[in-house]
Amino acid sequence: MAPHSPGTDQIDTLLWIGFVAATIVVVAINVGLIYAIRRFRAARGAEPRPAGDNRRLQFRVGGALTVFAALLFILSVVYTNKARETPSTGDAGLAAAKSEPLTIKATGQQWLWRYDYPNGSFSYYKLVVPVDTAVKLELVSTDVVHTWTVPDLAGKRDAVPGKVNDVVFLARDEGTYAGDSATLSGQAYAAMRTEVEVVSADEYEAFVKQQKSDIEAAQERVVGLIESGDTP
Amino acid sequence: MKPKPQPELVIDGYPKRRPRWAELATSADHKDLGRILICGALGFLFIAIVEMLLIRLQLAIPENSFLSPVTFNRMLSTYGATAIFLFAIPLVLGFFYYVAPLQIGARGTALPRLGQIGVALFVMGATALYAAFLFTPSEAGVNPLAPLSEVAFLSNNGVDAWAAATGLATLGFVLIAIDLLTTLRRMRAPGMAWRRLPVFAWGATVSCWLLLVIGPVLLAALTMLMIDRNFDGVFFADGSGGAPLLWQHLSWIFYTGTYMLVLLFAFGAIAEIVSAFSGRALLNRSVTMGSMVVIAVVGTLAWMQNMLTAPIGIGWMYFAMLMSLALIVPIGLIVFNLISTMIGGALQVRAPLLFAAGAISAISVGLGAEMTHSMVAVSWQLKNTTDATAATHFALIGGAVFGGFAALHYWFPKMTGRTMGESMARISFWTMIAGILLAFVPLFLAGSTENQVIDAYKFFGGTGVSTYNLIASIGALVLGIGIVLTLANAIGSRVNGPEAGHDPWGGDSLEWFALSPPDPHNFDVLPDVRSTRPMRDIRDSIAHRTERSEQPARESQPVA
Repeated sequence: MAPHSPGTDQIDTLLWIGFVAATIVVVAINVGLIYAIRRFRAARGAEPRPAGDNRRLQFRVGGALTVFAALLFILSVVYTNKARETPSTGDAGLAAAKSEPLTIKATGQQWLWRYDYPNGSFSYYKLVVPVDTAVKLELVSTDVVHTWTVPDLAGKRDAVPGKVNDVVFLARDEGTYAGDSATLSGQAYAAMRTEVEVVSADEYEAFVKQQKSDIEAAQERVVGLIESGDTP
Repeated sequence: MKPKPQPELVIDGYPKRRPRWAELATSADHKDLGRILICGALGFLFIAIVEMLLIRLQLAIPENSFLSPVTFNRMLSTYGATAIFLFAIPLVLGFFYYVAPLQIGARGTALPRLGQIGVALFVMGATALYAAFLFTPSEAGVNPLAPLSEVAFLSNNGVDAWAAATGLATLGFVLIAIDLLTTLRRMRAPGMAWRRLPVFAWGATVSCWLLLVIGPVLLAALTMLMIDRNFDGVFFADGSGGAPLLWQHLSWIFYTGTYMLVLLFAFGAIAEIVSAFSGRALLNRSVTMGSMVVIAVVGTLAWMQNMLTAPIGIGWMYFAMLMSLALIVPIGLIVFNLISTMIGGALQVRAPLLFAAGAISAISVGLGAEMTHSMVAVSWQLKNTTDATAATHFALIGGAVFGGFAALHYWFPKMTGRTMGESMARISFWTMIAGILLAFVPLFLAGSTENQVIDAYKFFGGTGVSTYNLIASIGALVLGIGIVLTLANAIGSRVNGPEAGHDPWGGDSLEWFALSPPDPHNFDVLPDVRSTRPMRDIRDSIAHRTERSEQPARESQPVA
């Protein structure tokens, strides 16, 4: 993962904190274990020391562990709250999304993602968003549980039928970002991928306009075919 | 070898009227039932390995077509159900059921017929799961999330078979837990107060309470699923007032509780082994026992840790994180006490201790990673990636396979009268260590750096995960070979292993007072329990009485 949004920056920082904490735990336990096994062998003449409960040491260890856990909890809450913040659209972003985020509906369906843009156009598989713009994805599902994940731009979220789940992100850099679905949804689950293309605000405007006229043209053609009786 | 103590009343010497398999199949003795559970569980461990290897073979190279998507999903679902319901839980319960009554000085269990029905239900569940291969096994994954598990999306009978299988087995586990709990409450030897209970028997007590809570939760969920699928119910169906998230809550309560069950078992067994092989009592027993209760309660309350990407309130996410991170304290204290018992002891590094140390090590890696996963924003990134697969497998293979094998090597002499081959145990152990590292460290990397998603029947080339997956597949094979070596060792040693005697390790608890293998009534005489180390008291008083105090039993053992 390489973060390309303010939210994933925070997630990345927290991930490193977690990684360091986990490494400390794993190293401490395994070093203690290996030391004990190598050093205190009966074969090397070790004598068992009498075992006595050591209440004070136990309180100290328990206290240290509590502080460690509390520290992790506080750091997690801080960084999670930062990652949840709705970013504000920058100067290069879409002017219409200055006051509130650009809202796009993302529908998970076996086995495709559909994106509905505010102007009534839609696209499958590929989501096009303007750069430097706060985007709110409203995740819904028409069938089973899907999980939308584009790791470089945002944390993953589930699309659960009957519920709306939000993902908010701001893509800092233009480019194409790959994504997947992350909850088993049936036969073609592994192929249910997605892609986010981050373009400039003008290109975005042009894209949704073009998409809308293409869709309308296609619909008119279909209606025309039906009326003229040429349907196969 | 010690002379066999003379029983007061000989009732066991009469020839059996029926063949041995018939005796075993109709027995309500906790030792016979425990053996069925353990042997069944180890058999299903072998099957689970075969399934895991098929899955890993499919995932060895990008866009492989060795298994079709449907076959892959069936293999995945069956692997999950086998590993959890037919291996981990029955193995854990089998050891509890065999050993705990002996440890508390009971001559049997309180409700033997209930236990017998429990084991029969487990066998029926296993049969139902594999009978599904006659038609169609489940395709809905390890935890079949509604609404994928609904009849609208999977209309064949696979999910029904899965629900019947897991339901039957779980009902069986709950019945066994009731029997064992009643035994532990009512049939302790004179003087065996709760505070003097061996840590493993205490782990059994806590685990059985836990099963009484989580078992019915899953049974309720399965019943609703069955009604949904077969009688037009709408419990989990969206659009008719149903709630898909309800299934997630109920099932994750069970799965998270099961995770804790495996940890409790592992810590209990490791505590016995560490104490026996370092020649001293476990340090801070009472803290360890208290911590076990906290793990059972707090750990299970963390079930929403599995739902941090679902549409639930952020407050609930923080609640789940609080519970998960709170586990650092009791688990940390237990591990600290286990290691500090070893430090300052005189360690006999035999197979049980080796596997116990391996279990602590693997669990530390798994739980370290799980700790990171419980941090909410991290979970948004890493949930449902292979990083989570690796974390869960490290912790559960550490607990159930390494911990289970430690228990197997430790109590094998009690069950069979013979010790398992030591050099084979060592070869198997180091193969398993190499295997688990090779199999799951690459998956950590693939999940955390490249976000490879779980449960997918294929991955794509050019996404940077091909090498990781190839190494992981080779590692899975190595791990499988290591595990099979121990299974073979157990089968071989049953007949050919060196004679162990009744008290091979110098353990402190009362199971070593019984014969190896124990008579059907367990004990001819019951001692008065005066301390937390009753077997040591017995050994001391025998030595005192015969004025032969120069040779404690342990020093006669070969030293590794």
